[in-house]
Amino acid sequence: MDRIDMDRLKNGEVNLGTSIMAVQFDHGVVIGADSRTTTGSYIANRVTDKLTHVHDRIYCCRSGSAADTQAIADIVHYALQLYTQQFGAAPPVSSAAAIFQKFCYENKDALSAGIIVAGWDKEVGPSVYNIPLGGGLFRQPWAIGGSGSTYVYGYCDATYQEGWGKDEAIQFVKNTLALAMSRDGSSGGVIRMCVITEEGVERLFVPGDQLPKFWEGHDVLPAAIKGAKVIDPVPMAVE
Amino acid sequence: MDSSMRIVPPAPSKSASLNDTANSLGLHDTLQFGPRSIAAETKSTNSLQHRLDHWEETQDNLKLTMLRDLYGLHAPARLLMERRAVSTNPHMPALQRSNIHLDILMGRDETLSPSDLFLGMERGPSFSTHMEMERKQRL
Repeated sequence: MDRIDMDRLKNGEVNLGTSIMAVQFDHGVVIGADSRTTTGSYIANRVTDKLTHVHDRIYCCRSGSAADTQAIADIVHYALQLYTQQFGAAPPVSSAAAIFQKFCYENKDALSAGIIVAGWDKEVGPSVYNIPLGGGLFRQPWAIGGSGSTYVYGYCDATYQEGWGKDEAIQFVKNTLALAMSRDGSSGGVIRMCVITEEGVERLFVPGDQLPKFWEGHDVLPAAIKGAKVIDPVPMAVE
Repeated sequence: MDSSMRIVPPAPSKSASLNDTANSLGLHDTLQFGPRSIAAETKSTNSLQHRLDHWEETQDNLKLTMLRDLYGLHAPARLLMERRAVSTNPHMPALQRSNIHLDILMGRDETLSPSDLFLGMERGPSFSTHMEMERKQRL
């Protein structure tokens, strides 16, 4: 019988090579993600929604293998529904994050999933939890993840201020994701954002042609520079 | 029930085992299976087959562990107790067996699968009734 190597499934899998982000502000959280899903260099989905609902005020941002993160998000969604039925109230974000962490850690040899859990609950207010590849759990005021995040750590460290309101947080997420998407090959498309507060969840959409623009370089031939000698090409003498 | 949150069956550990050919004394049954051979004893790692064989059990175990974490140990204990109560079958394990009560408890009463067509007769009628009864009593 042919030997099928299960490990090989990991290599060609549909990949959410990504830029994801979550930022906590005074009354809620803003989460955002790009929209590209790749299988190698083919973009399988250019309008993916990587912000997944697991409970009314708890969302997760998924990065890594698309199949793995979808499976985990489904199971956690199921577990949180059981929780709500048992305790009669919405689960705290810390409980949801702990459930995510338990799955990611106990299955760490089989999974390739980096998840950011963010939401609002009555006990604590807004919170953001980062669960990177090994299955550790880290609560942070802002968190970035995915392959595109490596390019924007400097920008985030230099820009983030505590005590921001909703609009500043949204602008921060938009700028960061636009910078990440412009440098990372596995991130791109549109920016999807969710603002989660006590009142509800508001979805925001930034199409690809309206992304914030930063330095993009000049034309190769600087014709507008004063005193620049523009040499017209002379046809080559052919004998 | 194994208290683990594994989503998919873990990779099998590579080991040799006498279990398949053991008789009631725990040794290799030469009368029935012939002399021992390394090829028969060493388990080759066909990870896909192992994964498929243990798939349903792993999913079921995951749900039971989730119930245990949420409601307490009694929740999966009761479910397992009900399943065991329903599985005590007074019949001889010879011809066509089906257990509707167990199917309902396991949630597969409204689905059709090959086991519903074969009804325990996947390997044809077994001629060694002693072996079947031994295997059943070990339950």
